[in-house]
Amino acid sequence: MLKGLLLLVVMQAMGALLQALWLPMLPAPVIGLLLLLALLVLLGRIPESLEQASAALLGYLPLMLAIPATGIVLGGDVLLAQLPAIGAGLVVSLLLCIPLCGVLMQRLMTGSREDD
Amino acid sequence: MTDALLQVVHAPLTAIALTLAAFVFALWLYRRTGWLVLQPVLITMLLLIAGIRLLQLDYAAYREAVVPISWLLGPTTVALAVPLYRNLRRIRANLWPVLVTLLVGGSASVVLTLLAAWLLGADLSVLMTLATKSVTMPIAMPLAEQLGGLAALAAVLVMLTGVLGTVMLPPLLKLAGVNHPAARGMAYGMNAHAVGTARALEEGDECAAFAALAMGALGVLTALLLPAAVIGWRWLGALG
Repeated sequence: MLKGLLLLVVMQAMGALLQALWLPMLPAPVIGLLLLLALLVLLGRIPESLEQASAALLGYLPLMLAIPATGIVLGGDVLLAQLPAIGAGLVVSLLLCIPLCGVLMQRLMTGSREDD
Repeated sequence: MTDALLQVVHAPLTAIALTLAAFVFALWLYRRTGWLVLQPVLITMLLLIAGIRLLQLDYAAYREAVVPISWLLGPTTVALAVPLYRNLRRIRANLWPVLVTLLVGGSASVVLTLLAAWLLGADLSVLMTLATKSVTMPIAMPLAEQLGGLAALAAVLVMLTGVLGTVMLPPLLKLAGVNHPAARGMAYGMNAHAVGTARALEEGDECAAFAALAMGALGVLTALLLPAAVIGWRWLGALG
């Protein structure tokens, strides 16, 4: 468990290094995710401790997202001032894009399966 | 309040207790009712804001105090590599569908959002912020600033999209007859980023893997392509 957590933190730190050096547009954890994925591909398996640490952490993902979300108290003024436009933008795009993404992906997958 | 009580209320420990208690309650409520509207992220956030106001905590001090919890978001994002790796073969087998869905769905989302908001009179800085709303927060905030938007508003919009999207996703997918876990995962990750991915984890490993993939890939693609698109648009505007 602890070894797994250590591996995750080291990958994030390496991500932060790469971000500072060459990839300023990507956040360090996303680079760390890609690094860990590459490492797992090289290893060919998931170490037991990593399996445990990631399962434990992913279960608390909503908690970790809720904390930065409280930042809503800082940006609330602009939001309220232009609420109709912002709300329409969000709702319209979700209403149309959720079915679009799901149906498109499902069609394309069954299509490619019939090919082979 | 007496001095001693005030000291305890404003101690970092109280902020952590408040945060954990809000999450425990939100999780209990979500499981007990099974209502999608009561997303744990949303309920925890609302309880925290209420708690901060009620106890009259300083917001910056609160965020400082809960760093022992919030720093875990980084390693947790890295941990999404595990479900991704477990489903790597399925992802490889569907590489083209994934890429096409990302490009078509991602562009449609940005264009539709901007069009609807522009028709209702949103100003330029709000539009530039809205353009980043489908992207996970750590990418969206700097990106919004780079495009001439507002980073604080970007965080709010990303959160709203995540929660609203997660509530709207299951009924809309059912209506459209989308039942393949990979296709559901793509829709979760593209429309509701991390909040959607947290919900996709409940639907199983394959769904979660595609959600994490969609979230990450859409984030990277948007960070690379959106600034180019905005520059191109301005250039066209200058010509006309």
